Amino acid sequence: MSTTSQKHRDFVGEPMGDKPVMALSGIGDTLGKKLEEQGFDKASVVLGQFLLLKKDTEMFTDWLKDATGANSRQAGSCAQCLKEWCDAFL
Amino acid sequence: MSSLSNMSAEEISELLDEYGIKHGPVVDSTRNLYEKKLKEAMAKGKKAKPSPDKTFYREEEEEVTYVYRTPAKSEDVRDRTYMRSRPEWTERELEHSASYSGYSRSDYKGRNYDELSHESPKYTKEDFPTYGQDAPKAPKSSRLIPLWVQFLCFLAVAVFLYLVFSSMESNEPLKVIE
Repeated sequence: MSTTSQKHRDFVGEPMGDKPVMALSGIGDTLGKKLEEQGFDKASVVLGQFLLLKKDTEMFTDWLKDATGANSRQAGSCAQCLKEWCDAFL
Repeated sequence: MSSLSNMSAEEISELLDEYGIKHGPVVDSTRNLYEKKLKEAMAKGKKAKPSPDKTFYREEEEEVTYVYRTPAKSEDVRDRTYMRSRPEWTERELEHSASYSGYSRSDYKGRNYDELSHESPKYTKEDFPTYGQDAPKAPKSSRLIPLWVQFLCFLAVAVFLYLVFSSMESNEPLKVIE
């Protein structure tokens, strides 16, 4: 396994259900609040956006950086987290 | 260029396809992103090709559009172009040496490249009459290091290696290879 955080492993290990946005890897309090302000109040809604972008991590990273001001590392981490979750459960 | 914000979702989708940008549905949450992508793609020029400075991909495009141009014409124009533009071109010429006969670089005229576009009018007027004479010389002078020099170096290295090999006291390595 590469350098995945505990948060990443926790998220990817089970169905996300009703987990909040902050449960996503790379999304902390600041970014989480910004996402909630835009209506992405649950991880599943962010998943919806990821799916709308056809699970393209690059596109999603660009979108996240644009929407929340996330840096490359945070956005990339979130994208990778969602991608792996999709690979496992979708 | 009409404003992207005024376009319908289908138009945005079509534009994305034109630039070769893979995309999902254009909905409220994705529209902003796609508009940005389109603006970036337009800034780079049509067909989502890379910036004029790097031309690895551009050559492929030129090859496609160049089939119907005369070879002699293309070589001459390209030669002049390369002499004036960066030495990077010479490396690509090496890779595409086989395509010289069929392809030409004069397609640069049609490109947006600042460096080449202003030179193109000169080529069309002056260079065409002298094709036949300059064509044979074109490949050599357009390279930074002439081709024959490269062949010579290669042969020199090959000969050197052979000498080293043959001067080894034991011939076992040769037998092992056999």
